[in-house]
Parts: sequence; C-alpha cells; structure tokens
Amino acid sequence: MDHFEVFGLPRRLAIDTAELQRKFYELSRRHHPDFHQTAPPEEQARALEASARLNAAYRALRDPILRVEYLVRLEEGRDTKEGATVKPKAPPELLEEMFEIQEALAEAKAGGLDGAGRAVLVAQRDRLTARLRDEEARLVGPLSQHWDASPPAARQRGLAAMKESLAIRAYLRTVIDDLTDALGENQEGYVTNRRH
Amino acid sequence: MAYSEKVVDHYNNPRNVGSFPKDTLGVGTGLVGAPECGDVMKLQIKVNVQTGVIEDAKFKTFGCGSAIASSSLATEWLKGKTVDEAAKIKNTDIVSELKLPPVKIHCSVLAEDAIKAALADCKEKWLKAGAPAASTT
Repeated sequence: MDHFEVFGLPRRLAIDTAELQRKFYELSRRHHPDFHQTAPPEEQARALEASARLNAAYRALRDPILRVEYLVRLEEGRDTKEGATVKPKAPPELLEEMFEIQEALAEAKAGGLDGAGRAVLVAQRDRLTARLRDEEARLVGPLSQHWDASPPAARQRGLAAMKESLAIRAYLRTVIDDLTDALGENQEGYVTNRRH
Repeated sequence: MAYSEKVVDHYNNPRNVGSFPKDTLGVGTGLVGAPECGDVMKLQIKVNVQTGVIEDAKFKTFGCGSAIASSSLATEWLKGKTVDEAAKIKNTDIVSELKLPPVKIHCSVLAEDAIKAALADCKEKWLKAGAPAASTT
C-alpha cells in the first residue's frame, strides 16, 4: 500500500492539507494501539503496523515538497525495488555556478573575512535564498499542477522536470548552508542539509 | 560516522588539489555533482597527446570527506595511466581501497563519473583540434 492509498487518495500532488489532517486524526484514532489493548495479539500487531504506516504516510504527504520527492520515488519504483533509480541531473551551468561560488567561498575563508568580504557573502546568500524560494514555488506550483494535469502517458517529462527542480533545490540549499556556515551564523537546529 | 584511516588521510592531506587551464589541448575536465548532498567535484587530467598517457591529474571537490578522498585517490591512480587504462577505473575499486560504507558509495560513483567526463572532454577537444597525434582513442 503506498502513502496515497493509506489515505484513500489518488496519486495526485494537489492535496487539501486540512482535509489530510482531518483524515489523519480520524485514522489515528481508529488504529491507535491503545484502543486495541484487549484485542488478540495478531490484531494488536496489525493495529501497530497500521499506525506506523499511517504516520509515515502523513509525514510524507503533508509537506508539498516532501510529497513531490515521495511521488518521484514512487513513480520510479525506488520505494519498492532497489536500484531502479535514474539519477536526477542538474543543468551543467548550475553545477559550474555552484563550483565557482564554492571556490570563491573557500578563498574568502582562507583570506579571513573582513567586513566587505562578509557583505559580499551575505548579498550572495540572499540572492541564492531568493532563487531557492522561486525554485520551490515552481516545484509545488506549476510543476506539480502540470504533473496532475498530464495524462499518464505524458507524465515522464513532468517527472523529469520535477527531478531537475529537486536537484537544483538540493544544490542551492547546500551552497546557502555553506555560506551561512562561513558567516558563522549556523545554529544548531537551523542546519537543513548538512553533509555527513 | 567513522571514516576509515585512508579516508581520513586523504581528507587531511588531499593529493593533487588544484586545476589546469581547461582550454589547453590534452587537458580534460570533468565537473560532476551529487544532488542528494549538493557535492560538486572537478577532476582534470593532462594527457600527453603523443603517447596517450596521463601525465598529471588534479581535483577540487566541495563535499564530504568521502567525496574528497574518492577524488584525491582517483587523481593518484590516474597519473601514469593511459587513457584506456583510466577508463577502466571502477567506483568499486575506490570503495574497496577506501573501505567506504554503503551510504558513501555514491561518492565513489561521483569520482568515476568525473573520470569518465574528464576523459570524454579530453577526447572531444582533441578531435575538435583535428586529432593532432596518434593514440588517445
């Protein structure tokens, strides 16, 4: 059962989140292990499993970006069978740009950051953050709508576009994070996309 | 996560960091990235177009320790190899040399992709220049 099916929803990106939450509470009550304490062990185990599945489904679907990520995995069969991945590719110009920013950042760090240097990094981070917002808006807006509106046979292209958008987002997030780090402003909890 | 000794060594003392002017004949550049973690890796080779031997290799990677170590190791391996031999380097060779855990295998894949991209770029430029010498197949 996929996450959409858990909620009895069609595989679409447009989801009314208030309605999703309402269904989540309703199903949570139904499956909650506490209400099955007197049931036979097999039934208790089933309730526990259903409860875990429901939580995972809700987490994946309530956020529109996570929802796209999940849909991409689902469509590619990555959630069910391993190795069915097609690597998302960011446009080469973006890669070059990210590399140049990282290179300049490394040089700035090595040279010690003065006031002017910091101002340059702050301006760059603001510019990239605005781009990240735009990219996310494009992903959950037009790209998601396009996917929903496409007939199944024409969905491959929409999927590729969403994957590219997710890749762009990942690169932007990393470089924004690295800039924030260099500025010494990264606090515990803020970190979004840390490298391990 | 615990890194293997070899990863730590390459991370602390990366070999062959730097770059070549990318428009020089014989220089091949591979710029690749991993969207999952936002890493970017640039790997360059300098091929002797007479002999097809890679005389020098350099890299610059902005990413995690394993990505840096994978590309650092790759440049060490590339030096002295012919382009044909270089094309045979597999990510699994890097995985076993650096003892990369499963979650870090993509870093070695990135390094292999970078090698392939650098070789392809080198060949393309060489062909564009009218294939001035034999070899470099």
